[in-house]
Amino acid sequence: MSLDVDPRVLLNKLAFGPTNGELQTIQRGGAEAWLLRQLTPEPDDDCAPRIAGAQVRVKYESKNPDAKVDEDRPIGVIAQPIEQHWQVVEKGAPFQERAFFRSAVAHATLIRAVHSRWQVREVLSDFWHNHFNVNALGESSVAVSLPAYDRDVIRRHALGNFRAMLEAVATSAAMQIYLNNRSSRGGAANENYARELFELHTLGRPAYLNALYNKWRKVPGALDGRPQGYIDQDVYEAARAFTGWTIEDGTGLGPGRKLPTTGKFIYLEMWHDNYQKRILATEFEPYQKPMSDGLKVLDLVADHPATARYVCGKLCRRLMSDAPDAAALSAAITAWTDNRRKPDQIARTVEAIVRSDAFRRSGGAKIKRPLELYASFARAVDIDASPTTALLGALDGSGQRLFGWGPPTGHPDDSDYWLSSSMMRMRWTLLLGLADDAWKTGAPRRAQMVAEKSTPEQAVDTAHRLLLDREAPPGVHRAIAAGLDLAPGSPFNARKDALPLARRMLAYCAMTPAFQMR
Amino acid sequence: MLARRHLLVAAPALALGSSVRAFAQTGAAARPGPVLVNVFLRGGMDSLGVVAPVDDRDYVASRSPELRLLTDGDRPALRLDNAPAGFDFRLHPEMAALLDLYRDKRLAIIHACGLDNGTRSHFDAQDLIERGVASGNDAGRVRGGWMTRWLAAIGGATSPAFAASTAVPNALAAHPGTVAAADLRGGMGLPGGKQAATVLGHLYDGHGAFELAARRTLRGIALVDGHLRQPDGKVAPYQPAGGAVYEETEIGRGLQSVARVIRMDLGIRAFTVDMGGWDTHDNQPPRLANLVGQLSRALGAFHADLHDRLNDIALVVMSEFGRRLRSNRSNGTDHGHAGVMLISARRIAGGRVHGVWPGLSSDVLDNAVDLAMTTDIRSVLAELMSGPLATPQAVAAAFPNFAPKKVGLV
Repeated sequence: MSLDVDPRVLLNKLAFGPTNGELQTIQRGGAEAWLLRQLTPEPDDDCAPRIAGAQVRVKYESKNPDAKVDEDRPIGVIAQPIEQHWQVVEKGAPFQERAFFRSAVAHATLIRAVHSRWQVREVLSDFWHNHFNVNALGESSVAVSLPAYDRDVIRRHALGNFRAMLEAVATSAAMQIYLNNRSSRGGAANENYARELFELHTLGRPAYLNALYNKWRKVPGALDGRPQGYIDQDVYEAARAFTGWTIEDGTGLGPGRKLPTTGKFIYLEMWHDNYQKRILATEFEPYQKPMSDGLKVLDLVADHPATARYVCGKLCRRLMSDAPDAAALSAAITAWTDNRRKPDQIARTVEAIVRSDAFRRSGGAKIKRPLELYASFARAVDIDASPTTALLGALDGSGQRLFGWGPPTGHPDDSDYWLSSSMMRMRWTLLLGLADDAWKTGAPRRAQMVAEKSTPEQAVDTAHRLLLDREAPPGVHRAIAAGLDLAPGSPFNARKDALPLARRMLAYCAMTPAFQMR
Repeated sequence: MLARRHLLVAAPALALGSSVRAFAQTGAAARPGPVLVNVFLRGGMDSLGVVAPVDDRDYVASRSPELRLLTDGDRPALRLDNAPAGFDFRLHPEMAALLDLYRDKRLAIIHACGLDNGTRSHFDAQDLIERGVASGNDAGRVRGGWMTRWLAAIGGATSPAFAASTAVPNALAAHPGTVAAADLRGGMGLPGGKQAATVLGHLYDGHGAFELAARRTLRGIALVDGHLRQPDGKVAPYQPAGGAVYEETEIGRGLQSVARVIRMDLGIRAFTVDMGGWDTHDNQPPRLANLVGQLSRALGAFHADLHDRLNDIALVVMSEFGRRLRSNRSNGTDHGHAGVMLISARRIAGGRVHGVWPGLSSDVLDNAVDLAMTTDIRSVLAELMSGPLATPQAVAAAFPNFAPKKVGLV
């Protein structure tokens, strides 16, 4: 059956908002064709040329005047392999040299959100970055590892296979550092990664049954080899399974021996706890082949029915609403499970969600997060967005710190979270700053169309239509007329300040609930 | 010249009418009763690395000296009088400011307290504690957080509360009057000046979640921002009293913001402050020393700053859980169970370590690995409500279906 969804709903849910071009594409070729094309994006980064031309300011003092740095650094270096980036770790370069990589990936993300042709991949990359959260604003070597994490782990698998993605995450420098597995070794393993693997990456909190059971065999289903959930004993044992999974970070291995400093994954047999284990009611024999304990844990958790429920539930919340429809969730779980050995498992799951009846009705159900607000505004008013440090600072202040969220949960996905008075102020600040081009990110080019109107009413209607494809309701007219002190019917395009007023009209129309929701 | 604060406040006030006046009246009714400041240490503070019986044989046997409090060496831990009998309880050496408060009987410590639930998940434990319940089933049966319900029970269901953070903690979930700001030093003004204030004051007249949030934000700005500004409209620098110096840290900024708002006398009774970074799975010793030092100095500054208001302030510090008795090989500790709480309030049995000390031998540890819980966090909070906060009628509403046990603070 051909997909029948309002193009604006489709573009607000599966893209960072409508653009004229995308709307026309869908009107011409149909929603079905658009979706199928989006689900099989070309592997190359269509924004590479834009990213290659973008720069981030790097500035720091040094006691040695020759080592002082104040320059615009091209962000195109994020395309290099990880060992190249890790030279700054090897050299012990200043903090700012490491933090640069976080800013660079964030800038590239802001560019792609507005400009990439492959919007579904962008939306899913944002989803997975939160699902598999790392904090590049904490430990600075996470920042250095972020370009490879973004490119080789998150983007490469964003519409691919979950089990493959899980292994890419587990062996990535960014996650190894962030959840401390790199220092975990036999004897007393570090539980951080194993715990969050169960709780946040796979089975999820609803399957954590520790408050009910403290022996593995008591967990319902365990004696049949199919436990319904997990408890701390599973966490302890899984942590043992991942001992020896680490990265080449220069750590000493005894007299005269140390790991190179490349950021690449390495398995260290000498750190691995080789004895027998029992995880999710499955026996692990002692002294298995290198890495096979950890890989077997990944197989078990990826295949667990609780993982399908948990991850599909999160996908539905991201793509539809805070309280997703049961039939849509069920369709997603079926697609996820049926395709779990396929390379496009995630794309098929997204497709199942989009084809559900509830998806069609889910327009306006969620608050846009600040990244979505920025990108959808830029796309609607045609800002040729070139992100700046100041814009990234405004976004960070708005509560959405790209790649810089502290706890491993990722940014909350419930609308309430984004409505604190602090974040509301920053939402208004973000829109006014973009409209006024306060951060030199590029002017809203379509403000000209608004400025050319002969009365304030026509101008407000034009601004509103650019953003929401319909005329402004009377309340919006009244609010803007009052604030801008414009008499009804007075000449508008003849005013010297018509253009700055037009930009403000765009910002104010974007402050309405209709634009703030997606 | 008309002061900027009047410009900013005037526009939303015109549009919002009665709701703003209601807030203004609350503001006029200064000092409505003691205020509650809830400091949440996110990530799970290693209570056994912060307050511990340094001569407990199991403590000494289970942890390397680096991860333990010590009686000797360069930095001996600080001795606490009036601790559970038979043990030499000590405080982390970086917490000298807290020791002063303890010796002044202003501060009480409650050990082995926590959540009556076996979870070792940060997010479960934080959520349950902040909702004031012990299980997920109960969470579905209560509305909002425990502070939300405390406010409602004392007649403040819609009155303002202040969260010194970007987001509103779940302890104040669903409270419609919360003003959130992580740092007040830049003011709390609206962007876009008078023009934007007028537009926004007229733009939101519906009842959707976004519009309610917008109006709440405008009211919060009207309530607070004017008090931050000088006659020329610039944000006035904050001048703490009592020679207090707040550091440039999350907890320093947070408590400074709270102190500033308390001094505004806006009738706000509920305050929250967050401090992250306590999830010390690796390299714990320097990290923990740094965190407890920041916390102690910020609390010291807060008490010095508000020295003339302390009779009206009850402050509580908690974390979602303590950490594992035995360390891992990353020189860190993994998620544990019971932790420690700090209470600072007037007329409490301060200068004392409260709570039943369960011991640290394997047979008495929770699940054989973690400090067992002997005091429910809610019992401590209930005594705070009955005693220093003078709101005994609120206990049942804040903690439905819970029978508090005596802790001995009051």
